[in-house]
Amino acid sequence: MSHIHIDVEQVSFGYEKGKEILGQISLHASERDSIGIIGANGVGKSTFLKLLVGLNLDFSGSIRIEEIPVEKRTLAQIRSKIGYVFQDSDSQLFMNTAYEDIAFAPRNYGLPEQEVDRRVEEALRMTGISHLKEKQIYKMSGGEKKLVSIATILSMTPDIILMDEPSIALDPRNRRNLIRILNSFEHLKIIASHDLDLVLDTCERTVLMADGRIVKDGPTDVILTDRELLEENGLELPLCLQGRTGKAE
Amino acid sequence: MHMADALVAPAVAGTMFACSAAAAVYSVKQVKLDIDTKKVPVMGVMGAFVFAAQMINFTIPGTGSSGHLCGGMMLSALLGPWGGFLTMIGVLLIQGLLFADGGLLALGCNIWNMAFYGCFLGALLIWKPMMKGGMSKVKIAAASILGCVLTLQLGAFSVCLETYVSGITELPFGIFVGTMQPIHLAIGFVEGLITAAVLVFVYEARPELLFGSTEKEQEEGRFSFRHTLAVLAAAAVLTGGLLSLAASSNPDGLEWSIEKVAGGVELEADGGIYEAAGSIQETTSLLPDYGLKGSESALGTSVSGIAGAAAVVALCAGLCHIFKLFRKCSEQE
Amino acid sequence: MNQINGAIYEIHHMDMLSSRDQWVNRVHPLVKLVLTVVYISTVVSFQKYDVAGTAGMLVYPMAVFLLAELSFADSLKRLRIVLPLVCFVGILNPFLDKHYVLIDGIRVNGGILSMVTLILKGVFSVLASYLLIATTSVEKLCCALRMLHVPKAVVTQFMLTYRYVTVLLEEVNRITQAYMLRAPHQKGIHFRAWGPLAGQLLLRSVDRANEVYESMLLRGYQGEYQYMRERIGFVRQDLAYLLFWLGVFAVFRMWPVILVVGGLFS
Repeated sequence: MSHIHIDVEQVSFGYEKGKEILGQISLHASERDSIGIIGANGVGKSTFLKLLVGLNLDFSGSIRIEEIPVEKRTLAQIRSKIGYVFQDSDSQLFMNTAYEDIAFAPRNYGLPEQEVDRRVEEALRMTGISHLKEKQIYKMSGGEKKLVSIATILSMTPDIILMDEPSIALDPRNRRNLIRILNSFEHLKIIASHDLDLVLDTCERTVLMADGRIVKDGPTDVILTDRELLEENGLELPLCLQGRTGKAE
Repeated sequence: MHMADALVAPAVAGTMFACSAAAAVYSVKQVKLDIDTKKVPVMGVMGAFVFAAQMINFTIPGTGSSGHLCGGMMLSALLGPWGGFLTMIGVLLIQGLLFADGGLLALGCNIWNMAFYGCFLGALLIWKPMMKGGMSKVKIAAASILGCVLTLQLGAFSVCLETYVSGITELPFGIFVGTMQPIHLAIGFVEGLITAAVLVFVYEARPELLFGSTEKEQEEGRFSFRHTLAVLAAAAVLTGGLLSLAASSNPDGLEWSIEKVAGGVELEADGGIYEAAGSIQETTSLLPDYGLKGSESALGTSVSGIAGAAAVVALCAGLCHIFKLFRKCSEQE
Repeated sequence: MNQINGAIYEIHHMDMLSSRDQWVNRVHPLVKLVLTVVYISTVVSFQKYDVAGTAGMLVYPMAVFLLAELSFADSLKRLRIVLPLVCFVGILNPFLDKHYVLIDGIRVNGGILSMVTLILKGVFSVLASYLLIATTSVEKLCCALRMLHVPKAVVTQFMLTYRYVTVLLEEVNRITQAYMLRAPHQKGIHFRAWGPLAGQLLLRSVDRANEVYESMLLRGYQGEYQYMRERIGFVRQDLAYLLFWLGVFAVFRMWPVILVVGGLFS
């Protein structure tokens, strides 16, 4: 029985009192799960992910990461187990070179420089960007930056990976590369995305959200082929299932 | 208003570096980055913002010309005096190193002329007192304009002073100041208006971003006002002392103006420093035939000058090529 | 406002130059920093009529241009700020200076000489800074600053500002281009848009800063910014380079080498 799991029970949250963004969310995820969180704009996908890493603590209900409740005093512990990839790579990457950014986390955890170096090399290898090691961040393309962003959390050797809209701003080839890399990871993955085709290709389980609540939680094959369900909740069938004219059949 | 290296004497540059360094160390202590860790990325991004925003051309209505944002006041209003000062240092370094807008030697002067006045005086003397008892659009606009004008006036005056004491220009001090001040009054006013427009926008959208909007920030710097005055006084004494040393070791500039002012009567400078400075100059020009202390003297012939220059250039180029060949050979081994 | 594109290009360009694997680039950054500062101080310290002496200091920038295989034409752009400035300051010298100096037996106005030295000083000091940043990357420069015990807070701000400068410049570019496309007859930002345009940019920057902060927190940041190299080791070549040039500066400062060498011909 693995210790890697997430338990969310009846969580509600709003930035301002009276304006609820998330209502009564319950979710359980275990090791090797790959979960796609989908929903129209503004349903609370990103907000939910941020709660999991304790970026907002004013929620009601309980969130436990590997049996550790998310609260102020456990933040450091929890954040060492979860890697979070931001939507905007320029916010994720704040050092000058890829090496420095990827080394940031292990150095923060006080690891000796040799170990830091080993982890950086490993993270670069896993994402296939060893050639970008010393490259300046601002010179990189969107695809390269996204891969470096992923590498920055891999060097933390997290148990869980959260991603917020990973394929936005990627061209087709980079996107394909991203899908391949995501499928090679064995971590517990939760990916919030509008890119339903990506979710189809990388996630076995899908959670459909609307109005801050979970509408359906089940196998991707079932949810992403259910045209009525998707259209009711502000979405469409994934493009690859829609036929050449682009119109859902 | 960025000073170039050519405009300062080493002694003046050194003095201003010392003053700026003192202000920086003080700011580092005051900003308490180890407690309020969020300030670190905020200061960095705001620095980049100010740098980039200063490239926007804001058209001044009525005239055809454009004005820019005042970095110092902007950063003070957002980050407070200490954060603003440290951020401005980064901005000035980038401007100087990457764009040659301000010299490396003159960095100390530029930090003092722009960052110190803008952040310490702008924030502590103007912004904070005016914002006491609550903010309002009018107060923000007034503080911005006043702050910018004062910052630029003091900055421009300092530039004149630093250039003059360095003995760079023959322009009489009065005329120099007389052109710099009014120009920078106009510039300061325009920059103040532009900065005011932006800060008022921020106030209406997210007032909590402005410095002094929280109780804590109002507490901050209350006692620092006295500290700032103490720092200013110390700086004035230090500056006065060191600059007079600089002035006396550069007798040409001062001599000339003394002559002009006193109608050819050289004032007797008292022993000690003047003699020491004089002997330094003696030893640093080993061939006194070439000494050119403001009198008619032979500079040599122009032929020897040109021939000599050509020879030196050729020798230098030759040596460099030989060195490169030598390196290539040793690298191939 | 292709001024902004120019700025972005300049940053990328200097970065490209300083990251070449080239002999001068490999010299220790602190050595290069110290030499640059000493060089500029020396150049600036020449007496105002000493044209020959000042001109002699040409050897350092010339040598580094050749050794580092940098293009002189490339550096001329940088002079466009300093040249007008020194001309403005020195322009009245020939008229105000009443002293004369003999050259070839002809009386030459001292003011012309002091103007020439001023221009030479201006040019040489800008070239020296250019050579520093063209052969030293910002990371290495920050390390050199730390070795000089410049407070970590100051160096961190410099690094972060440098990191985000291109991001912000591109955002400014986007906003102003979008503005220009809808205001074809205007050359700058109309005053009604002063507040909103720059204000929106500011708010977005603040949001970005918050995201950066969150990103740092999530990777274990707890206030100690220790993520820059604090030390680079010296090798023998560094010391040799330093001593050689310090020696050259001293010699050229004390003797008017050009005139001495030229004197050998006459």
